[in-house]
Amino acid sequence: MATTYPHGTHKSADDPHVLLDDEYGQYEPIPPYPPRTERELEFYTPGDGEMYLNMGPQHPSTHGVLRVVLKLNGERVVDIDPVLGYLHRGVEKLCENADYHQTISQLDPLEYISSLFCEWGPVIAYEKLLDVQVPRRAEYIRVLSGELNRIASHALFMGWFALDLGGLAPILYSFIERDEIVEMLAALTGQRMLFNYFRIGGVNGDLNHDFLSRLGDWMSRAGKQIETNLALLNENEIFVRRARGLGTIDREAALRLCMTGPNIRASGVPFDVRRAHPYSIYPEIDFEIPTRSEGDSLARYLLRMDEVKQSLRIIDQCLEQMPDGPIMAKLPRLLRPRPGRAWAAIEGPRGMYGAYVISDGTDQPFRLKIHDPSFIHLQAVGALLPGHLLADTMAIMASLDPVMGGVDK
Amino acid sequence: MTAISRTWDQLTLPGKALAILVPLLLFLTAGAVITILLFGGIVWNAILDHLEIVRLFVAVLAIVLIFIPFAFVIIYMELKIIARMNLRIGPDRVGPWGSLMSLVPGLKVLTKEDFTPTKADAVVFTWAPVVVFATSVMSALVLPFAPGLFGADLNIGLLYFFAVGGMTVVGLLMGGWSSFNKYSLLGGLRSAASIISYEIPLTLSVVGLIILAGTMSLNTIVEQQAGWFTNWYAFRQPLAVVIFFIAATAEANRTPFDMTEADSEIVAGFATEYSGMRFGFFFFAEYVNVFIVSAITTVLFLGGWNAPIELPWHVAIDINPGAYGLGLLFIIALVPVLGTLILAAPIYAMRSKTRWWVALIVGFVLFNVVAAGLTLLWAYASFDVVAGLLWFLGKAFALVFVFVWMRGTLPRVRIDQLMGFAWKWLLPAALLNLFVTALAVIVVQQWKGGL
Repeated sequence: MATTYPHGTHKSADDPHVLLDDEYGQYEPIPPYPPRTERELEFYTPGDGEMYLNMGPQHPSTHGVLRVVLKLNGERVVDIDPVLGYLHRGVEKLCENADYHQTISQLDPLEYISSLFCEWGPVIAYEKLLDVQVPRRAEYIRVLSGELNRIASHALFMGWFALDLGGLAPILYSFIERDEIVEMLAALTGQRMLFNYFRIGGVNGDLNHDFLSRLGDWMSRAGKQIETNLALLNENEIFVRRARGLGTIDREAALRLCMTGPNIRASGVPFDVRRAHPYSIYPEIDFEIPTRSEGDSLARYLLRMDEVKQSLRIIDQCLEQMPDGPIMAKLPRLLRPRPGRAWAAIEGPRGMYGAYVISDGTDQPFRLKIHDPSFIHLQAVGALLPGHLLADTMAIMASLDPVMGGVDK
Repeated sequence: MTAISRTWDQLTLPGKALAILVPLLLFLTAGAVITILLFGGIVWNAILDHLEIVRLFVAVLAIVLIFIPFAFVIIYMELKIIARMNLRIGPDRVGPWGSLMSLVPGLKVLTKEDFTPTKADAVVFTWAPVVVFATSVMSALVLPFAPGLFGADLNIGLLYFFAVGGMTVVGLLMGGWSSFNKYSLLGGLRSAASIISYEIPLTLSVVGLIILAGTMSLNTIVEQQAGWFTNWYAFRQPLAVVIFFIAATAEANRTPFDMTEADSEIVAGFATEYSGMRFGFFFFAEYVNVFIVSAITTVLFLGGWNAPIELPWHVAIDINPGAYGLGLLFIIALVPVLGTLILAAPIYAMRSKTRWWVALIVGFVLFNVVAAGLTLLWAYASFDVVAGLLWFLGKAFALVFVFVWMRGTLPRVRIDQLMGFAWKWLLPAALLNLFVTALAVIVVQQWKGGL
């Protein structure tokens, strides 16, 4: 590890590894220390006619605080160097010092777009450790609220993606749907974004009149409304032309990168945790797993919109089959699971959320590892971006739909 | 001294302003009176001797000034129309229906710090907004607003328009280069690439029109389109209108061709480092450009100041106020009062709750609306200038609405798609249009000559 120099004080003569003189290093997005790895040396050695462009962490469209250093040749991206960690909060470490109930509220802000799924995985893992049988009504409520949250997340994705391609209107239309759902979930859970709703062995509150009346009101026109919103983009020649063939990732590459969720389904792999490793009540529910083979941004976008329709089907069935009964299993207030380890995975709107818990017999988890799909998918950016134009960088990133809260944890 | 400063402190802000302004105005008035008395004759004679030059100066000043309210109107239109398209309400606090909203950012940029980044080329950085604003406003000098209402009637008006309008790219490039920012640089280079590419189809698309019109004077081109709307060049050059409008969108850097300031890609393009009034100039120039592009499309293809239909009868309202003699005084004194009362009466009678003074106020407002409407109608029927100006502005703002509509609806194209569209589609189409027009003109001439 080399010493960090204040800007402009290091001299090439002092250190043979320093590539760049003062002037250059001061105004370029280049680390103020000599390269530490082969990769850094390669990336921060500019080729002929290449320049660096610092994008983020404060850029209008980096979806949070992602920082990417782009190596450009004209407008064409040659190479990228993502700099992560601007949103690191040490959630996993915080969870080691909180008891099992408290971890749920710590995990909520991981993916602030779809918080319920951040709670769901660990909660199932804890239940495995405790050998708890969750009441069926609680499982139905979990699936119902989860699918609503999935629609909200995908609605926001549609708006973001269009905004990164320069369309102003779609985000406002998609926010209408998202806002309805968020208000609905607020009526159910008490919060708009960080719900803190799932409990070990059930959920926090039963369905109430406010939630159900809002849900019925929305479901009566959701299908038609979503179709209308989709027509805004799907029938737009400019949008389709820009998204088609953008950031294409083939089946093998997607599998090699461990991608999951809509991103891998858009590349032709019909992998969905809800069917592959069923959990909750999904085996009893009839829904399809939409798959596309193109693997480009348009396919990823269209696939998510197909998923919204499937989610509406699931919500319909949940409401139809919703049983009566308790919403919480009988559990002591202080949980001391047996020593051991448990893994649980669920299918979120971005892919597979996994939780790996190690218990040492105390009331706090010994270790909690969150497998977050955003982080996995962001790796693909390095493979997808080179060769594309600067204008497409944000669109490709948006089509993978990462949330920086989940990436940096 | 203390007494003065204490009195000064006790004044309100308007009071302070008045305390400065009133003596200043008195002083200036006195100075002006003395100057006119002493040198009035000389100045007047000089003005009379060089009337053409004076007219040009006045026209330039008027055009610079007239575009400030135009830009404000377009900014308001954009705020409100896009809000409506996005199912929002839009501005509704400042002024009636939020109509003064666009003044607020205008005042805001005036109060902001005028910031020059380290390592920026200060001189170029300072002059870039001036060049952009001046070129876009000065290209409007040849626009005929109404019969007899134009800056200058050049016989190469169209050429002047393209030449001066094309200078905008110099300003954008200056701003992009001198900012010492890579986003600005990319924005400036993008603007250079796109504007220069689109200049070619833009210019070529009107060559067919020039062949038909036989002149490049915009006034003459408008006069040739008089009569029914079928005389408009839009119907004789349909392909040219489409090419011209698309290319003009790219010229004005508007969505879907707003590569120059693509906010999701290069932050704000060439304007990234600008703040305060320098940014205001860029901002203004953009909206002025929108109006100018709409106006030139109107002039070339949509008949300019001409009404779309020719009325079969001639309406002339002949009012000679001098003929009424003393009666005129009575009319001026009585009509407002009577009108207010007549219009207030039904409002007072309709609801028993209405107070008499509320009814009077409503009646007075209504009377003003009616009087203004009647005056406008009279002016429209009596003066060609008013009628022409109304038609011209109506058509131009309809096109401005189309620009705003496109901005509210369309995503942005990519730079390679933008270039490909210009060179692969628009340029061949413009050449085809030119070829067909020229061929048709020759054939028609031969045929006529043969007869």
